Amino acid sequence: MTEKSQRTSTSSLPIVQRVPTGIPGLDEMLHGGFLPQTANLIEGAPGCGKTTLGMQFIRYGALHGEPGIILTFEQFPEQYYRDAAAFGWDFRALESAGVLQVIMSSPEVSKADLESFNGKIESLVARIGAKRILVDSLTHFERMSQDPMKLRSLVYGFLNSLKRAGLTVILTRESSILLGDEVAPTSGANFSFLADSYIMLRYVEIESAIQRAIIALKMRGSAHDTHIRQFEINSTGLHVQEPFEGREGIMSGTPQQMTQSFIKAFINR
Amino acid sequence: MEREINMKTENLTSRVFNDMDPALLSFIKKHVTSFIKWDLLYFFHQNPHTIDTVENIARYAGRAPDTVQRELAELARSGLLESSQMGEMVIYALTPAPQMQAKLAQFVEASQDKQFRIRATYHVIRDMCRR
Repeated sequence: MTEKSQRTSTSSLPIVQRVPTGIPGLDEMLHGGFLPQTANLIEGAPGCGKTTLGMQFIRYGALHGEPGIILTFEQFPEQYYRDAAAFGWDFRALESAGVLQVIMSSPEVSKADLESFNGKIESLVARIGAKRILVDSLTHFERMSQDPMKLRSLVYGFLNSLKRAGLTVILTRESSILLGDEVAPTSGANFSFLADSYIMLRYVEIESAIQRAIIALKMRGSAHDTHIRQFEINSTGLHVQEPFEGREGIMSGTPQQMTQSFIKAFINR
Repeated sequence: MEREINMKTENLTSRVFNDMDPALLSFIKKHVTSFIKWDLLYFFHQNPHTIDTVENIARYAGRAPDTVQRELAELARSGLLESSQMGEMVIYALTPAPQMQAKLAQFVEASQDKQFRIRATYHVIRDMCRR
């Protein structure tokens, strides 16, 4: 169901294939979706919607001719079925239809399996014709090594084996803070360099209420919207909305009106 | 005389506890020879696409690795699980054989019934006592 980018229809640029997420607003941010066979990192605080975003991506593919796999290192498959059901998504039915498979494993086993000839995961990819995978979550790789260089190499190999299998990958990673800027990754590992795109989800406090913000910080090989947008999770899933207007310091977690910033910067000096 | 009564009682008990689908009885006698195996089979039925090491499966199942190791190996020998060597790791997964998966599903479904569980428990304990 890979789609052509809109911009290519009006220019002589080469055709750019896209893998739409099916998430309202996000595909517009990504100019049509992710690039095929890329690794796309979604990072954010616990509970801010990383897994929901990933499940929505997998479900959209499953319903549109691109079967998918959820590779979980932590939650039991049952949890995904339950979480999906809360949005009215029947993951069991998709599994029965052979367009979705939830695999539970560990980073070390998945990596070794993918690197072996005719491993179980690759066999499964071939059997169901999988095109998408959600790896939930990359955070678990961090226990494989304390050495950031070694860890980076391990993850690099893992991502390449997924791409080699023809999969477009969403990787989730938990950030350690709930609000505001993350000073440095907890383990010293920075996986954003390894990913082809890097999307950050954040909680922000605006007028005494917690809201959610999303930004695409990087998208290798493609232009993308660089606005910080608000998003909500309702009964049908994740919806990306308009950019935050007239505010700055959004990613600090406590944005302020731009006018206040101007006053601080230029008047209260 | 007393021996005769004991034998009669045992025969009666066996008859009562053997009163189940022969296919299920055979499945229990062949595969469910301990309560840990029962737990593990239930786990693999619920999570049929688990591919992992003894240590991780033990963690998922809430058991000690030492306890689970032998049981997993026996389930692999009896054909319900597959084991493979991956570098230094031994990996276990549910057999992809549809016939075996169907038998497991039948067992798990039957286990929802209390009377079946009582009968199955009798056979598991009997098998454990014999070992």
